[in-house]
Amino acid sequence: MKKALSIVLLSMTMLSTLLAACTSGQPQQTTEPKSNPQSSTTAPTTPTGAGGKTTVQFWHSLGGKNGEYTDAMIKRFNASQDKIEVVGTFQGSYDETVTKLQQAVAAKTGPDVAMLERAYVQLFADSEVLEDMNPFLKKSGLSKDDFTAGLLGHSIFNDKLVSLPLNRSTPILHINKTMLDEKGLAVPKTWDELNKVANALVIKENGETKRYGYSMPYDTWYPIAMITQAKGKFFNDANTSIGFNNGEGVKVFKFLKDMQSTGALYYPPAQDSGNIVNQMFSSGKIGMMFQSTGVIGSLTDTAKFNYVTAFLPMDQVYANPTGGANVALMSNSKNKEAAWEFIRWTMTDPQGGLQFILDSGYLPFTKKMVESQQMKDLWAKQPNRKVAYDQLQYAVDTNKHVAWTQVMQEFNKAIQAIMYDNKNIEATLDTFKKETERIIKK
Amino acid sequence: MVFIFPFLWMISTSLQTFEETLAFPPTWIPAWPQWINFVEAMRAGPFLTYARNSLIITFSIIILQFIVMIPAAYAFAKYKFAGKEIIFALVLLAFMIPGQVTFIPVYLMLAEWGVINSLLPQIIPFMANAFGIFLLRQYFMQIPQEIIESGRLDNASEFKIIMKIMIPMSMPALATIALFSFVSHWNDYFWPLVMTDSAQVRPLTMGIAMLRETEGISNWHIIMAGNVVLVVPILIVYLFASKQIVKAFVYSGIK
Repeated sequence: MKKALSIVLLSMTMLSTLLAACTSGQPQQTTEPKSNPQSSTTAPTTPTGAGGKTTVQFWHSLGGKNGEYTDAMIKRFNASQDKIEVVGTFQGSYDETVTKLQQAVAAKTGPDVAMLERAYVQLFADSEVLEDMNPFLKKSGLSKDDFTAGLLGHSIFNDKLVSLPLNRSTPILHINKTMLDEKGLAVPKTWDELNKVANALVIKENGETKRYGYSMPYDTWYPIAMITQAKGKFFNDANTSIGFNNGEGVKVFKFLKDMQSTGALYYPPAQDSGNIVNQMFSSGKIGMMFQSTGVIGSLTDTAKFNYVTAFLPMDQVYANPTGGANVALMSNSKNKEAAWEFIRWTMTDPQGGLQFILDSGYLPFTKKMVESQQMKDLWAKQPNRKVAYDQLQYAVDTNKHVAWTQVMQEFNKAIQAIMYDNKNIEATLDTFKKETERIIKK
Repeated sequence: MVFIFPFLWMISTSLQTFEETLAFPPTWIPAWPQWINFVEAMRAGPFLTYARNSLIITFSIIILQFIVMIPAAYAFAKYKFAGKEIIFALVLLAFMIPGQVTFIPVYLMLAEWGVINSLLPQIIPFMANAFGIFLLRQYFMQIPQEIIESGRLDNASEFKIIMKIMIPMSMPALATIALFSFVSHWNDYFWPLVMTDSAQVRPLTMGIAMLRETEGISNWHIIMAGNVVLVVPILIVYLFASKQIVKAFVYSGIK
């Protein structure tokens, strides 16, 4: 009978030949997790792992090459001492990690250390699930002054040090210098120059644009940068509404729309916009682009032209937001000392964060790193990377607000309405302002 | 052609060099097929473990679903009992609630049981397939009562009736349900992401997600190689099941 049953089950799956082997072993295998050593670590906060070592769970969002560099860093840490075992796990994109973390905190299954995209830090800081690292910092003889100033904008809330920078980036101007040189153009330093240079680069054939002046991914990052360059703020000082009145906001989008109409600006479709502009830039379809420092490494490898970087052009002032992620120590962690040891090592050991930064191309986040010989050598070899660091002196963090994630969605809608649907700029920004105030009031 | 196009592009990209993936206009035929891309993709994580987990998870789900679904559908189709309508309405209700609504309570419950981060939370919540019960009930209802009655006259047990009459006669429906179930759980990304923390218990989709660059230019050739590995089993299952699904339509046409 048993045999008959299993035959029926097999035939039901309609995979009798190829997958029969997997299917017939099923009943045993489903119960496997019970006896599997893995299930003994179901609670990620299990204090001790194999060999009496303290296990520290570290959740991060780095895939691809940067994921490999992160794994390598964790391996170096684990090899550097014999008391702590850090287990790093990829948890999807920055947004997905946040979703996971929210419910894991509620169910008390969270990690010891988590990577948080900097704009989400306040969300967690506000619900008090992040440990204040000030005492740890003091005990280890470190201070806030040891860190790169422009990168601490999302670290301190209510006098608590809730996160420290790790893989941080900033938008900069990427330039196909060969293309500019052919036309005898200089690298633009202001919006006016950007306008002239970008328009000069446009090539049109039979009414079709063959080459665009510049581009940027579809993201709130770049309009925010431009608003601050026009001396506006994203949120007002009282945190009750947006901080840019029609003056700055309208100016930014008018500028972009004018450029878009002549082909000077290529505004990419929303889906996968970052990859699209990267590929168009590296294949010479776009002369310049606003894009993260994170792509310098891959562009250096792929560009077949003279590729340089520069500060984002200024309107009234130079200004730029920062991006990327921080690390935070979770309040629920049962191994705070061990978790801190890993963070401390990452921040200070030459084998830790410094090596990771050299590998990945993210911004050096401590003064020691900046002064290190390795960093100097790298910058001498790749001046493009130094530009990104130098620009940090103008870093402004204007989108710090608990409601940022919701406001961001509304801002995206406004960008779409203006850039894709040619909606009236003033009216769209007015609607956005009202929506923002409604969200903040809640 | 429209259906095949993305597949061809995926396969083409999976065999290109990094430079070819960046070229514009896009490359169609790679100059020299880069089989190494598959090795690269597999090297990025414990892909054999991922594949094993994917197989265990999807097949356990399908088998458990059949064990729950067939008797349930049989009862709904051929039995009269008190509260049948209400219970069936509840089943339909379960079918209408999207997974996003239930994942937090389910997560908290499973966390309470201490089974998070194993294969179990990826299987147990899917044991009952409301859509399958509904579809199979409709199919069972079409099978004439006389056939079942004649079975009973021959002293067959209810179990035997299910095994010898109902299942063989509803193969096309079962194949359809199995295929739907297979595709949706094989491709599921969100649930495993939420329920698991370690590579040991994660399915293929999580491995593929890791191939994507967080910042910088994505290595599409590697990602696509990973996707080919992910999609091929679905194509194989589809080839086996498609004949049965076509039959399902042919049969219902005869009636």
